[in-house]
Amino acid sequence: MQRRVAIVGYAQSEYQFNVPRTREDQVFDVVKAALRHAGILREEVDSVVTASSDFLDGRTISNVFLSMAVGAYQKDESKVEEDGTGALLYGLMRILAGTHDVVTIEAHTLASTINPHQILFYSLDPLFDRQVGLMNDIAAAAIQARMYMKKYSVPEEAVAMVSVKNLANAALNPLTHRKMPDLTVEEVLNSKLYYEPIRELMIPPITDGVCALILASEEKAREITDRPVWIEGVGTYQDSYLRDRDLTRFESLGKAAAKAYEMAGIKDPYREINVFEVSEKFAHEELMIYEALGLAREGHGQSLIEKGLTNREGEIPVNPSGGALSADPICATGLTRVIEAARQIRGDAGGCQIPYVERALAHGQFGICAQKNTVFILGGDQ
Amino acid sequence: MLRNAAIIGCGQTKHSGRRRDVNQAELVSEAVHNALEDAQVSLKEVNALVVGNMQGFGGVANPDLWIGDWIGAPGKPVLRIATGGTTGGSVGQGGFYSVMSGLYDIVVATAWEKHSDSKEAGATTGLLHVALANFFHAFGYGLSMKNLLATSAVGAAAGVAAYQARFYMHRSGCRSEHFDMVAAKARRNAARNKYAHLQWPNCTPEDIHKTELIVDPFRYGHVCPASDGASAIVIACEDIALKKCKRPAWVKGLASYSDEETQMQSESGGGVGVLDPSEQMGARLSAMKAYQQAGIKDPKQEIDVAEIYQPFPSQELLFSEKLGLFDEGKAWIAMEKGETEINGRMPCDPSGGVNATNAIGSSALQRILEAGLQVMGKAEDHQVPKKVRNAVAHGWGGVTNYITVTVLGETPAPRR
Amino acid sequence: MAYLKDQRRETMMVEGSWNIGAYRYKGSTQLQEYVDGLKEKKLIGSLCPGCGKVIVQPRNICGRCHRRMDKRMVVSHKGTITCFVISPPIEKGKYKIIGMDPVEAGVIQEGAILVPVFVRFDGADSNINTILLNCPPEKVHIGMRVKAVFVENPEGKLSDLEGVEPLKE
Repeated sequence: MQRRVAIVGYAQSEYQFNVPRTREDQVFDVVKAALRHAGILREEVDSVVTASSDFLDGRTISNVFLSMAVGAYQKDESKVEEDGTGALLYGLMRILAGTHDVVTIEAHTLASTINPHQILFYSLDPLFDRQVGLMNDIAAAAIQARMYMKKYSVPEEAVAMVSVKNLANAALNPLTHRKMPDLTVEEVLNSKLYYEPIRELMIPPITDGVCALILASEEKAREITDRPVWIEGVGTYQDSYLRDRDLTRFESLGKAAAKAYEMAGIKDPYREINVFEVSEKFAHEELMIYEALGLAREGHGQSLIEKGLTNREGEIPVNPSGGALSADPICATGLTRVIEAARQIRGDAGGCQIPYVERALAHGQFGICAQKNTVFILGGDQ
Repeated sequence: MLRNAAIIGCGQTKHSGRRRDVNQAELVSEAVHNALEDAQVSLKEVNALVVGNMQGFGGVANPDLWIGDWIGAPGKPVLRIATGGTTGGSVGQGGFYSVMSGLYDIVVATAWEKHSDSKEAGATTGLLHVALANFFHAFGYGLSMKNLLATSAVGAAAGVAAYQARFYMHRSGCRSEHFDMVAAKARRNAARNKYAHLQWPNCTPEDIHKTELIVDPFRYGHVCPASDGASAIVIACEDIALKKCKRPAWVKGLASYSDEETQMQSESGGGVGVLDPSEQMGARLSAMKAYQQAGIKDPKQEIDVAEIYQPFPSQELLFSEKLGLFDEGKAWIAMEKGETEINGRMPCDPSGGVNATNAIGSSALQRILEAGLQVMGKAEDHQVPKKVRNAVAHGWGGVTNYITVTVLGETPAPRR
Repeated sequence: MAYLKDQRRETMMVEGSWNIGAYRYKGSTQLQEYVDGLKEKKLIGSLCPGCGKVIVQPRNICGRCHRRMDKRMVVSHKGTITCFVISPPIEKGKYKIIGMDPVEAGVIQEGAILVPVFVRFDGADSNINTILLNCPPEKVHIGMRVKAVFVENPEGKLSDLEGVEPLKE
């Protein structure tokens, strides 16, 4: 990369269902907290990039009434309409171009405004899938889960173990709202059935949430903080539409991870990355994510979870913060993962802290069955 | 800027009220195909795509997930940017930053709108939704129907633009006859642009004056149409631009400063502190930043053509002043003298502008595209008959609080 | 190359819908304070302790200072027209807002001319969008002094402020 860019501050809201405050209030509080965390004033920010979705917010131009709250008054502002990692990528590009030095990134979705599964239904191909009306994102995930599990003989228990791990990890994270420290595999497999084999505890909850972080170029980062978290690599790709690709693997995630590793100079992610924060919108997705990230061979994601290697105490902890299964503020989910990864590197992760984190991976996705994926590699000062 | 970027190819679709021969995906792929052909670039060589539209109009959430397959997106990075009326401008700038960042070498930026997919007349679904949440909120506090219907039904046809025009008229001495002149010019220019929507080769200000009054000072003849259309540009880094294109349009400066919500309400029915929606501080700041990056000190002398986002004719006048092309309050005088005609001293919107063609998602990108065509000398019948060293493209959107300004030129910006 | 359709015929049409009524928005309480003020025939705005701007109707956040505008201020009933537009005579069937026709709904007389205005009340740094009453449209001009017109018995609703009328000073 032609410049070095670091995360110098961040903040998250408490992720809850149906927070009784307006978007403006929530966004303002979080952006203010992020600026305070970085120790800078709004005047020092050059640009603001936000992520939100018109359909999910229920307002066309979802950022139009939020420009003041997000601190973009008379500042260079833009908005991406996908996961927060897209906004982070765009903010990164603005700094790399040399035209800006400090950028605020913000992402939010108040998913209690309207059933988000209904909105994902509207993202289906309007000419066939939407007319037939049988498909929605949970049904599509169920089809994917069934294909994956049959192809590689993955038992239901392995999928349930992902929920058990993440929801237990969430108990150590005060910001999430679905925490279940004593959850068992049986309870997951007995929870309400949505579409076979997807059950309620394998689906993320409906969450309202906002998160924000501050990016800075190397010179500014050194002025602002003595613990910058560097962005060492990034990769993003989009797959074909739902019916036109192999659902048993996340091809775009594999490519994105490979690109990010290449940029960061990582040859063996299993050994060189200390913690992974991934966006698993359904429990079975995490097993497929292990494979796409190169941590396990195709079809062998199950052995990682069965051997406890991705637990907090394991060799490659995945989602010590609880992941998306514990709180899923849709457009903010990916950015939350980035912030949690940054906290791990800084040693700021509180109860979720994994010891000796030098490098972390953060992943965000958007679209039915993770159609587009973005991967960031973060690292502390070596 | 650490790395230069240039437009090496442009593609548009024919814009019309109803493109009944294509659906959204086919419409966009037409524009992308045209752009790739113009640039002599194959889909394989494209490193990334930046896309956007206002999804409320088409009724499909994140349509790029579906139409991506039509434009070669699978297996490539795709960024979706959507900022309301400036969507096209933000998409174009997103494409520029993508190349300038060094992460990608060739990027396709495309924006589109298919208004006719929406069942309501005038395609209000998408726009009404901006204020709908505030309306619902206000109803709970006893908003009277009379007040709502009075301020909205009459004002909403033109929205805040009618008030903005009145402020400009009061400040500058401009009269509504001047809006007739601007609207007529837009339609005459559009007749020389094979992709434009409202083509009226011999339109005169009297023709516009005869149309019915919507709300003083606007007539039906002043207002832009709702078009179906898409536009796309191919952006390349310096090495590739020099190899592939004889006359690329270099990106010299770009900015998109936001202002406070200009005279609609803030969230939940609050007021706003902007007293004059024609002041447009965001436009002034964006222009200052873009010119500074481009090394332009005197836009009146150094800018040769401007593509201004003007769904309403008053906006061509007031924004051309904010962009520094005329002195405050004097744009209408210059227009009266013919300076903004295609063969004038400061041609404004030789393509007809948004006043003649408005596919909302794509319009602001179209301004960048048309400015690019002028610099590259490819604007065919509406090419301005003078040397184009620098061109400025502008977009506004949101509740008139979002602005994008891009400066394109025949040589890259001077390195500082 | 990208996919290009080679036969230009009318394409098939299918229907779809998205229900915009299903949204549940969160509102804030600042409008409640405003209508409480209207009940007492007072116009309340929010004051920013940073820049000192007074915004009517009250808003939550001052973007210039990036802080909350928690203080409240009462502004005068007298104000100045800063902008206006004039409608043509209202005809039935001409305008519809959220599916309702104002003449059919009995809210506006057929042939009436409406003058929506921006009014800056003394003490405020913002405009209120309302209608001008009791004034022939030819007389309205920017800078005209007006005063607020309340209903006889305000109930604490936005409709308590009927509009503004010319002020004879």
